[in-house]
Amino acid sequence: MGIILRNIIAIYRRELQGYFSAPFAYLIAGIFWLLSGFFFIAILLGPDGLIAQVANADSRGLIAPVDVPYQFLSVYLGVLGSLSLFVLPMLSMSLYTEERKRGTLELLATSPITNWAVAVGKLLGVLTFFVTMILPLLVYEAIALSASNPPINPLVMIVGHLGLLLMAAAILSLGMFISSLTDSTILAAILTFALILFLWVVDMVATGIGGTLGAALSHFSLVKNYTNLVQGIFDPSNVIVFLTYIVLGLFLTAQSIEAFRFQRS
Amino acid sequence: MIEVEHLHKIYGSTPAIQDITFGVEKGEILGFLGPNGAGKTTTMRILTGYLPATSGSVKIAGFDVHEQSMEVRRRIGYLPEVPPLYPEMTVEGFLHFVARIKGVPAGDRPTRVKLAMRRCNLLEKQKVLIRKLSKGFRQRVGIAQAIVHDPPAIILDEPTVGLDPRQIIEVRNLIRSLAGEHTIILSTHILPEVSMTCSRVAIINRGRVVATNTPDQLMAQLAGGSGYELEVEGDLAMLQPRLQGVPGVRGVKAIAEPYLPDNLCKLHIDLEPGSDPGRQIASTVVGLGMGLYEMKRVRVSLEDVFLELTTEEKATDLAAAADEAAPDSNPSDSPATDLADTDPLPTPVSAASLTSPATSTEE
Repeated sequence: MGIILRNIIAIYRRELQGYFSAPFAYLIAGIFWLLSGFFFIAILLGPDGLIAQVANADSRGLIAPVDVPYQFLSVYLGVLGSLSLFVLPMLSMSLYTEERKRGTLELLATSPITNWAVAVGKLLGVLTFFVTMILPLLVYEAIALSASNPPINPLVMIVGHLGLLLMAAAILSLGMFISSLTDSTILAAILTFALILFLWVVDMVATGIGGTLGAALSHFSLVKNYTNLVQGIFDPSNVIVFLTYIVLGLFLTAQSIEAFRFQRS
Repeated sequence: MIEVEHLHKIYGSTPAIQDITFGVEKGEILGFLGPNGAGKTTTMRILTGYLPATSGSVKIAGFDVHEQSMEVRRRIGYLPEVPPLYPEMTVEGFLHFVARIKGVPAGDRPTRVKLAMRRCNLLEKQKVLIRKLSKGFRQRVGIAQAIVHDPPAIILDEPTVGLDPRQIIEVRNLIRSLAGEHTIILSTHILPEVSMTCSRVAIINRGRVVATNTPDQLMAQLAGGSGYELEVEGDLAMLQPRLQGVPGVRGVKAIAEPYLPDNLCKLHIDLEPGSDPGRQIASTVVGLGMGLYEMKRVRVSLEDVFLELTTEEKATDLAAAADEAAPDSNPSDSPATDLADTDPLPTPVSAASLTSPATSTEE
């Protein structure tokens, strides 16, 4: 057990080093920060932003109480979720394709380290990079929300960001599996993007067909489970769905690396 | 230490290797020699457990490569055809990483990494990013990662590819210095490499082992081709029959040598096995009043053994094999020994080998 943990940490550290020394990763982070900052301003202060809407409603004498901080947080996290949809495949695409291209998969496969340990280490590494992309956003969320009245319930904030983290982990895990199937980075990114889009769309299809089947399908939907968490509703079943995706991605990755060795020609 | 038994590997319907059986004793260096595409890399990959064999078994230090994969992985160091490197890491950082995943205890890592770097002459580059290293240095980092955890068995797939002649000598010395405490298999298509570094050779061709023996004995098997090469001035027509008459001489043949001055010509004398009439040959030449400018003994080189074992009747095959072997061959292994039969090839081989003694054909 200790050995496995040590191996996971070794892979994790190497992955992190890879991300933090890659110009491409900084480029992605930069674009992500730019867009998320733009949406932050637009949602809060823009001409159609929340504050403008409330002021407008106020001036027309509609005094329906609006929980602005709560509204803001759920809308903003929703936007971040959509942005992540574009960013995450770019983070996961090279997880295994690069190893394959450099021949380092041969090193890993002939070292006393299991495919599982490699996959877990890699997932934790890329997830850590994603978290560092989210951290600066927390700072300006904190600045905006610290002045809010009524004060935001910290639990809502925690559950919402936990949701973002879980969804990112699920997408990265599936993306990692796809990157383990091919040695083309671009192909891995496109396929991952298509898969996520499909999972996203499952939600609309589910709502469309309705009934028992629709309800069953909606449980698998990323967006459905994410929206629940973003609204500050902590439901273990949502968490379980995401965890299932994460474990599924890890399992498939470990299997595909194993199978790749057997059918390689 | 390493036992390979009846190894088969079939890709789809094409057999890559067939019925490969050999063993390597502890401390030995086995050279795995064969033309490109003979199945060397496939065999290496099966030995390391990277590829499963279709049938047959490999045991390293008593552990089955397939059944007890983790035990085997702990005990091998492997340099694949392409050195597995992370370009964004420093040499030292990368070796630390490899030491960690190979299970070297934390306390031993700094010394192991230092030692590996010293052995591979990497100390001056330890803080340099691998991305910035030249090909020769990358290859050395590849070797360093294979020995950093001090494994009992080391498997090197073409370790000297891409190195310059001086580096090749260094790497060969390094490999030789590893023998004894480590068991080494190295694959190569470079012939002198085998005769210089290996205690035993397995020659593989088209997926089959065609010979296993020590380099000396392999050459001895095909001996009979040993002889002398002379550079003389004078009337060949007169000399040739006289030399033919010397006891122990099997045949005399003139060699066309375009760069030789007009007054000189070159002869190859083929000897009967076991006889060595060098003295008589020299006195015959001198006795006729001819000038003897050069006289040297030639032996069957491993190259000849290799060509003999790996080529079939078709001349195109022979040419291909010669092309491949030639640029790597060493000038001292002059191959013009088989002249008794009318083989047109040795001359081009020797010519090529003299022009570029130690560059690889792979690039």
